Amino acid sequence: MNRAILRCIPLVIFLATACRGADRPTASPNAEVGGTMIIVQPAEPNSLFPPKVSDSQGLSVVNAIFDRLAEIGPELETNGDAGFTPRLAQSWTWSADSLSIAFALNPKARWHDGAAVRAEDVRYTFAVYTSDTVASDIKSAIPNIDSVSVRDSLTAVVWFKRRLPSQFFEATYNMYILPSHLLAAIPMGALATAPFGRNPIGTGRFRFARWEPNARLEIVADTANARGRAKLDRVLWTFVADPAAATTKLFAGDADFYEAIRPENKEQMRTATQLRLHTVRPLEYGYLQYNLHRRGKPLRHGPPHPVLGDAAVRRALAMAVDRARLARSVFDATGDAALANAPRVLIPDTIAVVPIAYDLAHARALLDSAGWRVNPADSVRVRNGVRLSFEMMAPSSSVPRTTYLALLQDQFKSIGVEAKTLSLDGPSMGTRVMSGDFDAFMNVWGMSPGRLGMPQTWGATGDLNLGGYQSTAFDVRLDSALSAFGTSEARRLWTGAFQQLIDDEPGLVLYEQRKAVAMHVRIQNTPMRPDAWYAGLADWTIDPAQRIPRDRIGLGAPR
Amino acid sequence: MTSEVTLSRQRTLNAPATLLPMLLIVALAGIAIAAPVLAPYAPNTPLDIVASKSLPPSRIHWFGTDNISRDVFSRVLFGARVSLSVAAASVALSLAVGTSVGAVAAFAGGVWDAVLMRTIDVLLSIPRVLLLLAISAIAAPLPLVALIALIGLTGWFDVARLVRGEVQSLLTRDFILAARASGVRDSRLLRKHIVPHLLPTLAVSATLGIASTIALEAGLSYLGLGVQNPTASWGSIIQLGKGLIDTQWWLTLFPGLAALTAVLACNALGDALRDHYAP
Amino acid sequence: MFVAATFAFVLLHFAPGDAYSSIGGGMTDEIRATLRAQRGYDLPLARQYVRWLLALASGDWGWSTSQQRWVSDVIAEAIPRTLVLMSLALCASLALGMGIGAWQGARAERHVAARDTADRAVSVVTLFVYSMPQFWLALALMFCGVRWFGLPSGGAVDDLHDRLSAADRLVDRLRHLLLPWLSLTLAGAALFTRFQRSAMRDAIREPFVRAARAKGSRERDIRFQAWRTALSPVITIAGLFFPALLGGAVFVEIVYAWPGIGSAVLKGVDYRDYDLVAAVVVIGSAMTAAGSFLADLTRELVDPRNRLEHS
Repeated sequence: MNRAILRCIPLVIFLATACRGADRPTASPNAEVGGTMIIVQPAEPNSLFPPKVSDSQGLSVVNAIFDRLAEIGPELETNGDAGFTPRLAQSWTWSADSLSIAFALNPKARWHDGAAVRAEDVRYTFAVYTSDTVASDIKSAIPNIDSVSVRDSLTAVVWFKRRLPSQFFEATYNMYILPSHLLAAIPMGALATAPFGRNPIGTGRFRFARWEPNARLEIVADTANARGRAKLDRVLWTFVADPAAATTKLFAGDADFYEAIRPENKEQMRTATQLRLHTVRPLEYGYLQYNLHRRGKPLRHGPPHPVLGDAAVRRALAMAVDRARLARSVFDATGDAALANAPRVLIPDTIAVVPIAYDLAHARALLDSAGWRVNPADSVRVRNGVRLSFEMMAPSSSVPRTTYLALLQDQFKSIGVEAKTLSLDGPSMGTRVMSGDFDAFMNVWGMSPGRLGMPQTWGATGDLNLGGYQSTAFDVRLDSALSAFGTSEARRLWTGAFQQLIDDEPGLVLYEQRKAVAMHVRIQNTPMRPDAWYAGLADWTIDPAQRIPRDRIGLGAPR
Repeated sequence: MTSEVTLSRQRTLNAPATLLPMLLIVALAGIAIAAPVLAPYAPNTPLDIVASKSLPPSRIHWFGTDNISRDVFSRVLFGARVSLSVAAASVALSLAVGTSVGAVAAFAGGVWDAVLMRTIDVLLSIPRVLLLLAISAIAAPLPLVALIALIGLTGWFDVARLVRGEVQSLLTRDFILAARASGVRDSRLLRKHIVPHLLPTLAVSATLGIASTIALEAGLSYLGLGVQNPTASWGSIIQLGKGLIDTQWWLTLFPGLAALTAVLACNALGDALRDHYAP
Repeated sequence: MFVAATFAFVLLHFAPGDAYSSIGGGMTDEIRATLRAQRGYDLPLARQYVRWLLALASGDWGWSTSQQRWVSDVIAEAIPRTLVLMSLALCASLALGMGIGAWQGARAERHVAARDTADRAVSVVTLFVYSMPQFWLALALMFCGVRWFGLPSGGAVDDLHDRLSAADRLVDRLRHLLLPWLSLTLAGAALFTRFQRSAMRDAIREPFVRAARAKGSRERDIRFQAWRTALSPVITIAGLFFPALLGGAVFVEIVYAWPGIGSAVLKGVDYRDYDLVAAVVVIGSAMTAAGSFLADLTRELVDPRNRLEHS
């Protein structure tokens, strides 16, 4: 349940959109605006205070209410500012040495309470995101920003420590601009719990309307927005934890959008003519994270793990798993075996990267030659009195991951490895993981465009390098890939970095998912971006010919 | 006295209201013990993770299969072992603790009695389900032994109260007074006179307690706080079907019916015993 | 109350970590320490305890990490919903249970229990319902109600509730209430029927019934008198079983996503939200105490003999 750790997000800042046409001044023809869309979602956000929001359900709302300085293009290009479109900033200027960028804010931009947006807001936002007291997950994703200064009331200058291809991305993708006139008076330590997080005021084309905890959250079009009102009147998130109840709601017509249709619902989808199935490929990959060091303290730096510290064991485990078959069992047609430590869309050269093949004979031979001999008494391998046995955890809230546990346990058994499984609630799993008290656990990383979170998850000093993987070879390759300015050079360097991970096997990469999204046919959506399906939400419309009663409610106050 | 007990046992056995649930309980226990022989498949081994997962009930898989292709019928049979033994063991613990505390309170009397009984009043005022949830917040997932201990240690309050009442009234009875007057030691008194008289009360309490504990364990496991998968208990099978009731109803229906049968049998037996001993 | 609070405190502070050790992301140990200090988690246990009790008394229940707002706000919102559900179910199950139980019990006078098929049939049904695990009964009702009657499967109101007309709002509320209410009512009714039946059977055999009959009182009056006598033990049971009813309500709320304290506490458990869980345990105990007090009061009101004894 604790998405903070499970889908860890510093790297993952899911984002707002590539709203093409976002800059059109206003009003589309009246027929195009109006309508209510109801999204059914398994969990509610913890907060809507952007620096403390790191789960995708919270970000989909934050993204509608708040703006970033500029928006990444649909190609998710992270080199320089190519493809980025203006958002809260209407233009930007690079300094001659490329170590600072001056953002000129849109002079017409207003907060939802009517106040004008000022450069001070940008400076304040950076201060909040990097404050130790606020402890934002995003802090570690913006290490290259040195400071933000105010040149004049409408110009904010972002200063960088060094020149990198991803500078512009770092300055714009990670931070939603906050209203300093409302927040500056609140001590940093109190921000996370301030009422603002439950009643946010932003600059987005939607504004916040209401949030009934554990039940629903509503946003409505901001009719006074400088970039034009959102085309829908309202978007309502309804929180239903039980997947069966969620699909029931969808099929009964009480909801228009559901992100997690299960393969078993295929038949119902076929007969539900009011629904259409869309496929989204999120930037996520699921894998089994190993602890390469002995459990407990010192965290991630202790002596090698008695079993999993052995690279031969990790490679043998990878060979023992028929990833394609497991993916088919768990996801049917909606999941694939992952190629490397990223979904395929984020691997520049998918042909050059070679995964470890499923080969039981080879796996057994590898373990034999590494000195792990099968003990005939219990069919579990032993070396120097150490049994080839470890414990795997998964959060009980995730059906795919707990299913994977049971399946992996069975596969490992076939090469004489004993894997005990433990499914427990997300937060207590998170506690164990953060204190190094684990052997292995099922994890999903959601990645940010451009693989910019890789140093955090697999680099030697990464604070999300949960298994304590230390490889100078990988770090060198990763750093050169990240600093490469030429595209073809970067492509080659990234292949090297991914291959190094595959060879060292600090985690057993398992799957990437194609999410099946069910949507009502009357909704006309913009393309759903892989890093954030909700990116273009303000430009989604309802087909005027197919409106249903809830589309005619309008923007008036409730009775 | 011995004759009295034998007599009542005979009467009990002859009554159909007792016999039927008794047979049912014996049958369930038999199934639990013989699960390895009766079960057509291994309870924890997937059969074919692509072709045999999530199958509805059929002639091959009577209760269908779960999402990693395990046979639900086999799991329900093996689940009987876990569910019934958890219930039996934790109720035994409750009875042991409750009887001791109740007897001590009644014997000691005075301040001890007051303190113990007030404590029990307070503990009884904390709703058991909330208490178990709170402990789960800290310690989940619990190993089986800890689960048994936890359920057992939160279930003895009623028993203690009941036993104290019984013992107090026994202590005023003539034969006890006589025994005490003739210098019989307390421990012997307890063993020879008090405990045999408590047996009917404890028997009723045990059967009803097992019934409610089976339901409680199923509930906790359904919430994911009790028996952990892949170990099969009736509740943990239902837990695997949580949120899938629209498509995989068999994961909820069959283990639920099994639990219902067991609870029903115990309740019926408890009722019959109570009617018998205290008509 | 006080002891329950202490108990909750002791319990929750045996925890092997605290809410802040499970916050993920790039959080450093220093930041965690800061956050702990804010909530006083770094103080010695005794001082934390005093601090907690004082705070509790002054209405400061702490901060809910699972809902990111004050525990008192969470509770204030959840309690009324739980009370609505429970009180409606309690009234209905008492009425139902007493009605059926009294009818069954009164038959004992004229029929030999073993041969009375109507009585036995009803007894079997009540035993059956009584034996269903509460969450499973709720699941079964949900499955049927949603599939065959198109009832909503969860929540307290429709998403567009406040856009409905006043009449539709009432209908909407009732539609959402029906299944959880029924789940709780059936279980409660089965329980009360069983006790009312045996209490009524005892009462009908009491000497005063025979005396009244000998005096030639009307059968209806006799039954009524017997029923009044039987009422007292049933009310006692209602008080005693309050914790069990509350436990049942917790499961029903979770199954139907009814936004009361049951749903709140489960979420709290998953998030290791100790402040919230502790608060709910204390509140639950308070509700139990209030329940048994209410039962005592009602019993004295209905049974004149009790009043005499006490005065």
